[in-house]
Amino acid sequence: MTMDGKQQGELPIISESDIVACRKVIRTLSTNAGFGITDVTRIVTAVSELARNIYVHAECGKMRWNIMHQPGKIGIELIFEDNGQGIADIEQAMQPGFSTVKSMGMGLPGVKRLMDEMRIDSIAGAGSTVTIKKWARAR
Amino acid sequence: MFNESLSVIKLKNILLVTVPDDPGDDMIYELQNKVLSAMEKYESAGLILDISSVNVMDSFFARTISETTQMVTLMGGHTVVAGMQPGVAITAAELGLHLGHALTALDVDSALEMLNHNLANAV
Amino acid sequence: MTYAASNYITVFDKWDDQKTFFCFTPEDAKRLSDFHPFAEKHVDEVVDGLYAHLLKFEEAQMFLDDAETLRRLKIAQRRYFLELTSGCYEEEYYENRIKVGVTHQRMGIPPRLYMGAYSYYLQLMIPLIYQYLGDDLEKANTTFSAMYKIINLDQELAMSAYIHAVEDVISKQTEEILEMSTPVIQVWEGVVATPIIGTLDSQRAQQFMEHLLEKIVESKSPIALIDITGVPQIDTATAQHLIDTINAVKLLGSKVIITGIRPAIAQTLVHLGINLQGIITKPSMSAGLKVALEMLAVGNTGFNKTN
Repeated sequence: MTMDGKQQGELPIISESDIVACRKVIRTLSTNAGFGITDVTRIVTAVSELARNIYVHAECGKMRWNIMHQPGKIGIELIFEDNGQGIADIEQAMQPGFSTVKSMGMGLPGVKRLMDEMRIDSIAGAGSTVTIKKWARAR
Repeated sequence: MFNESLSVIKLKNILLVTVPDDPGDDMIYELQNKVLSAMEKYESAGLILDISSVNVMDSFFARTISETTQMVTLMGGHTVVAGMQPGVAITAAELGLHLGHALTALDVDSALEMLNHNLANAV
Repeated sequence: MTYAASNYITVFDKWDDQKTFFCFTPEDAKRLSDFHPFAEKHVDEVVDGLYAHLLKFEEAQMFLDDAETLRRLKIAQRRYFLELTSGCYEEEYYENRIKVGVTHQRMGIPPRLYMGAYSYYLQLMIPLIYQYLGDDLEKANTTFSAMYKIINLDQELAMSAYIHAVEDVISKQTEEILEMSTPVIQVWEGVVATPIIGTLDSQRAQQFMEHLLEKIVESKSPIALIDITGVPQIDTATAQHLIDTINAVKLLGSKVIITGIRPAIAQTLVHLGINLQGIITKPSMSAGLKVALEMLAVGNTGFNKTN
C-alpha cells in the first residue's frame, strides 16, 4: 500500500514547470508502490515524455494517476488527456522516427517500450488520451 | 534568470558543470547558454557534464546535450558526459536516445583523463 | 510487509466482508464480550492446561524447550485468550492474527501443531461455557457458536499469513537464483565479465542489464565482456535486449566486447538484419580478455563515442 494510502489523483499540465511537478509526484508514488529504481526511472521518463507531448502539442491537459491492486501485484496507471488537435494517424505516430515537432521522434514508440501496456485513444480535432500501465514484480 | 544551483566551473582549459537531479526545461536551456558563454569567455578545450545526480533523462534533455555538444564542437571543444546512473542509461537505451557526438565516461576523473589524453594526441 | 500484494491474505478493507462470509455477526461479538468476565477468571487454568497438553508431545517440546520461551508464550497466549472475548475485532485484532501466522512460519512451527493446539483449546473452552451458562442452554449454544466462528476466522487469517510468508521466501529464492544465473565477475582491474547461459527472456534480460551496469559502475570498469557461448538461440527480442545493453553500457562510459558468437547465432543475427557494427566481437572469452587488456594498456578506452 502507498504510505499515505491515497490511491488516485490528478495534476494539471499547462506550463513547462508542470512537467517537473508530474515527474516528482510519480517518482514518489512509484517508489512507494514498490517499484525498483530502474522501473521508477522508466516510469518517470515515460511521464516526462507524455507530459511534454501535452505541453508542446495542446494548450492544456492533465495527468491522472491510479494505483492498481490485483492479487499478487501492484501497478500504476497513468492517463494523459489533452484538448489538442488529436493524433491524426495513430499508426503513423507509433512508427519509430515519426515526430511532428523537432525532437528525436522517439516519443510514443519509445514510451511503449518502457511500460507494460499502452493505449492511445484519439479523435482528430478533439484531443487525445494516452493510457500507460506498469506492474511491479510480485513480492 | 540566475539560478544558483547551476554553475559552470573552469578548471584550467576545461569546463565542469554539475547537473542537479531533476532538471527542468528552463535549467536545461540555461545550461546550454551558460556553457556556450563560458566557452567563448575562456576559449576552453573541453566540457564535462557531470550527470551523476541526474535521475531522469528524457528526449528533450538528450537532444539538448547532443545539440550543445555540436555547438561546443563548433567552438573548438570536446564534450564528455560523465557518471550516468545505470537506471538512466537503461531507460535511455530502451527509449532509443543517443547523445550525438558527446563522449561518455564513468566519472569526472576518467572524463578529465579522457580529455587530457585527447588534447595531448591532438597537438 | 505489504499484505495487499498477497494472493492469500484478506486485506483489512475486506475484513468485514470476511466476517459476514463466516456468519460472524455483531450479536456474536456481544455474546463473546458477555462471556469475558468469566473467561478472565479462568484464563490461567486454560493457558496452563494447553501447555501441559502440548508438552506431552515430542514435536511440540522442541519449540518449548526452555523456561523463558515457555514463559513468554504463556503471556502471549494469555493475552490472546482475553482478546478472543474482548468483543472488539477490528484492525489491531486483525493485525495480531497475521503476526501470529507469520511468526509461526518464521519459527518453523508446522500448521499441524498450530491447528492441534486449537483443537485442544476448544476442548478446554466448551466446559467453561456450559459451566457459566448452564441454566440457559440456548445462550450457551449461541456463545459456543460465536466462539467457534471467531476461532475459525482467526485460523483462516493466521494460515493465510503463513502461506504468504512461505510464498515470500520462495519468491526471494527465485530472485536469488535468477541473479546467480547471470553472474558478473570482475576479472581484472577495469574489466568485468559475464557469461550468459540459456535463453534470455525479457525479465531475465532486464535483470541481467541492471546487474551488469551496476557492477560496471561499482567497479569503475571501462570494459565489459559479455560471453554468449551458452545462449542456444537468439530471437529478435533477445537481440534487442542485447543491443539495449550495449548502448546502455556505452552511455555509462564503458565499452562492450561480445565473445562466443557461435555459427548458428551469427546466421540468425544476419538474417534478422541485426547490425553489430562498431562493436568488438571475438570468438572466445580468452580472446576477448586479451583485447581488453591491450586496450587498457594503451589507454584506448577513452574514445567512446555514443553513436
